[in-house]
Amino acid sequence: MAPEHPFEPKIVGFLCNWCSYAGADLAGTSRARYPQNLRIIRVPCSGRVDPLFVVKAFQDGADGVMVLGCHPGDCHYQQGNYFAQRRYALMHRLLEFTGLEPERLFVEWVSASEGKKFADVTTAFTDKIRALGPSPLKRKRAVGQPSPEEVLA
Amino acid sequence: MSGQKSERVESGTADPARPTMEAQIREAARAYLEDGAVSCVIGYERGPRGNVRPAFIYEADDVDRLVWGADCNLNLVTYVHNWKQPLGRGQPVPTVAIVARPCDARAVNLLIHEQQIQRDKVKVIGLTCAGTEINGQPRLACQYCDERVPVVYDVLIEAEGEVTAAVEADAYEDIAEMESWTPAERLAYWASEFDRCIRCYACRQACPGCYCFECVAEQVDPHWTSIALELPEKHFFHVMRAFHLAGRCVGCDACEAVCPMDIPLSKLNRKLAKEVEAMFGYRTGDDPETAPPLTTFDPQEQLRL
Repeated sequence: MAPEHPFEPKIVGFLCNWCSYAGADLAGTSRARYPQNLRIIRVPCSGRVDPLFVVKAFQDGADGVMVLGCHPGDCHYQQGNYFAQRRYALMHRLLEFTGLEPERLFVEWVSASEGKKFADVTTAFTDKIRALGPSPLKRKRAVGQPSPEEVLA
Repeated sequence: MSGQKSERVESGTADPARPTMEAQIREAARAYLEDGAVSCVIGYERGPRGNVRPAFIYEADDVDRLVWGADCNLNLVTYVHNWKQPLGRGQPVPTVAIVARPCDARAVNLLIHEQQIQRDKVKVIGLTCAGTEINGQPRLACQYCDERVPVVYDVLIEAEGEVTAAVEADAYEDIAEMESWTPAERLAYWASEFDRCIRCYACRQACPGCYCFECVAEQVDPHWTSIALELPEKHFFHVMRAFHLAGRCVGCDACEAVCPMDIPLSKLNRKLAKEVEAMFGYRTGDDPETAPPLTTFDPQEQLRL
């Protein structure tokens, strides 16, 4: 019998090309450690991340989704992150209302110079998701993961 | 944009024996059609089995088909989308008149803001609404509705009796209760509700705010979601629709009224309306100028993400 594998979360990160993607780069070049669970998707701006990307990521197997953008006022396109802020403030509450644990969606501002912060928030988020367990929105549930109906019963 | 009462209705209100709302609607529709001011009057009529359905009245002789009753729970502003284009090459955009309850009138303001309709191309026959019913029960939206006179109208149809707006019910009572559940309980609740969905898109068709030429639910490139009748697809569809209406939903509950599977869709919309109200102090359709919150921003604000 093979030993049972401990749960390792899949994290999808939508990273702004102009700040947090460069921040992730800096984390790498400065040899800061961050978990391998993160799958990075480079986007031109946090305002590009349609909240439906997040729903789709959850359904297609993500246990947690991070959206990292530039600090307010620092957007390469002047205003993209302001729109993103409003969108995610609402989307977060809607996903929470439809039954997702609020911790699974994480929106933060990380600049290109904050390699350390990038490593820190990624590590903290991954640890939190590891403790939470597999996401209930997955199309294919993990082995032994109960369906929403079974949770209620 | 303030409404203007027509002479006809004012003389009607002065009359001690006030004509019924139905008679007033017919009168207003007749006046518009006889003037040639509108190409069509969109109102309610009764079908052969007694159920209420939308009526499209083109001739003054047909105005007696128009009815008004507590079971008129559709939002007729939806049909204005069929009248946005000129009827033929070189012709002007047609003018239509619609019978609108206070909640529907908010959708008129929304569509004016979104440049879907022009104010002078839509004549609003506003109803002094005492609330409508769904399946013979008073609708939830109407039980806490604090608005009895539309925000925008050209002709105001006055109620026969006194219509009071003093409703002391908490509009978000059921939402607050659901918020106190655990995430797993909410997920199970929505799983059981969404599971019934047959993806007929009646909610989308009934909604005045859903007017995309190509809906995300049916788009093939990019292929957002498959046509499968599975829970993830249904979940995606309803979350998508609720989010696209965030800050735009007027709360007419037409989606819930037309849902053949009785899915409580208004809960999603009211949850977002509650958050929008708390975060941005915005209510849809107060006036045609104010932008819905997701189409604008305030650099100063710090929202909890």
